[in-house]
Amino acid sequence: MAFQFEPSVVVDTLPMLMRGLKLTIYITLGGLSLGFFLGALAGLMKLSRNFLVRKLAGFYVETIRGTPMLVQAMFLYFGVPMALGMRIPPLVAGILVIAVNSGAYIAEIVRGAVQSINPGQMEAARSIGLRRGQAMLYVVWPQAFKRMIPPLGNQFIISLKDTSLLMVIGVGELLRTGQEIVAVNFRAFEVYLAVAIVYLAMTISISWGLRCLEKRLQIQSR
Amino acid sequence: MIEIKNLHKSFGSLEVLKGIDLTVNKGEVVCIIGPSGSGKSTVLRCINKLEVPTSGTVIVDGHDIMSRETDINYVRTEAGMVFQQFNLFPHMNVLANVTLGPIKVRGVNRDEADKLGLELLAKVGLADKARNYPEQLSGGQKQRVAIARSLALQPRVMLFDEPTSALDPELVGEVLEVMKQLAMEGMTMIVVTHEMNFAREVADRVIFIDQGVIQEANEPKEFFANPKHPRLRDFLGKVQLAC
Repeated sequence: MAFQFEPSVVVDTLPMLMRGLKLTIYITLGGLSLGFFLGALAGLMKLSRNFLVRKLAGFYVETIRGTPMLVQAMFLYFGVPMALGMRIPPLVAGILVIAVNSGAYIAEIVRGAVQSINPGQMEAARSIGLRRGQAMLYVVWPQAFKRMIPPLGNQFIISLKDTSLLMVIGVGELLRTGQEIVAVNFRAFEVYLAVAIVYLAMTISISWGLRCLEKRLQIQSR
Repeated sequence: MIEIKNLHKSFGSLEVLKGIDLTVNKGEVVCIIGPSGSGKSTVLRCINKLEVPTSGTVIVDGHDIMSRETDINYVRTEAGMVFQQFNLFPHMNVLANVTLGPIKVRGVNRDEADKLGLELLAKVGLADKARNYPEQLSGGQKQRVAIARSLALQPRVMLFDEPTSALDPELVGEVLEVMKQLAMEGMTMIVVTHEMNFAREVADRVIFIDQGVIQEANEPKEFFANPKHPRLRDFLGKVQLAC
């Protein structure tokens, strides 16, 4: 029996994917918001004058960056509950994994961007009597943030795609939903094509959104 | 106003300052000259603790900057600093550059800070640039904004670290003019500079630093007419040749 491509199946599949898409969006938004917070914190900790604080952040970044996210997800969802004696809902586990994982990469993005700002900026801010934290908040951070946008966009796209790995811990996200549809209609080609199209639509939206943000910030000088 | 005693500063194994003693009185204008790498900027940066002295005493308006009890952020508002590279905040407009200190450090409300900021910008001749961003300004204009930014904290002494060295020659005058005006108003100033004419004209005292120590200090007329130290004679000869 020869393979017959049925474009109509792709079109019919798209609305059925919506439930999974919703979860993917929740996990991505939740995970990345938390991940940005974690990453900013760890990135700034890496610039601390305190040796211990620096090492702590370094340990976080190295361990997370050095292990596969799939392993992290399975460890958190199947492993940690055995130690805690309580289950973690898949959605919560999913958001946590994305947050902790992206946070490690975002930490390096934040550190690099902050370090790229001319030290004269910090000095000038301190010279008018601002405390270190104030100088960071009002002077260095806003300039560093602009430089973070392109690499952050990269990371956001990677994290969005990585949510597909969460199907192994039973999160009914986009890919998992697709898989369930295939289990019923056996149209793997059309269904996974539809899944891919949805991912692509989302990643393109992120790129576009960040480009707009970058342009808006660029209107005001460097 | 400023009392420096036996100031030493090392960067790793490199000893940049080898015992500097300097007293600057209220209202005095002191110019520091010397070859590059001689430590003259480091002296200035030690006064508001942008560099932490290795040893010695630095007292600014009665505050010992080395003491644990001293709030260094307060001392920095007393000693305004102007940098060679201006270091304006590029993401803020000119007025916001000037008012950041008053608002965040002094807790002045925005309206009052804006009023003060516009006054200071008028003083340095840039009231019409208040809403511009730093990158839209020339070097001389940037440096005048930087001076206004420091003045916004109402400092008791102003430190200038080669304020005209990064400027195109035709823009030097406008910055020196503002500094001259400040000096005439009685501001205490320490100026690290290569502008010999400015030193001759405005300074009460000129100091020559070389190899980490003050080699010579004198009132400007005598300093330039009768340099005693051979290294100073050599230095002045080279500088004047270049002019």
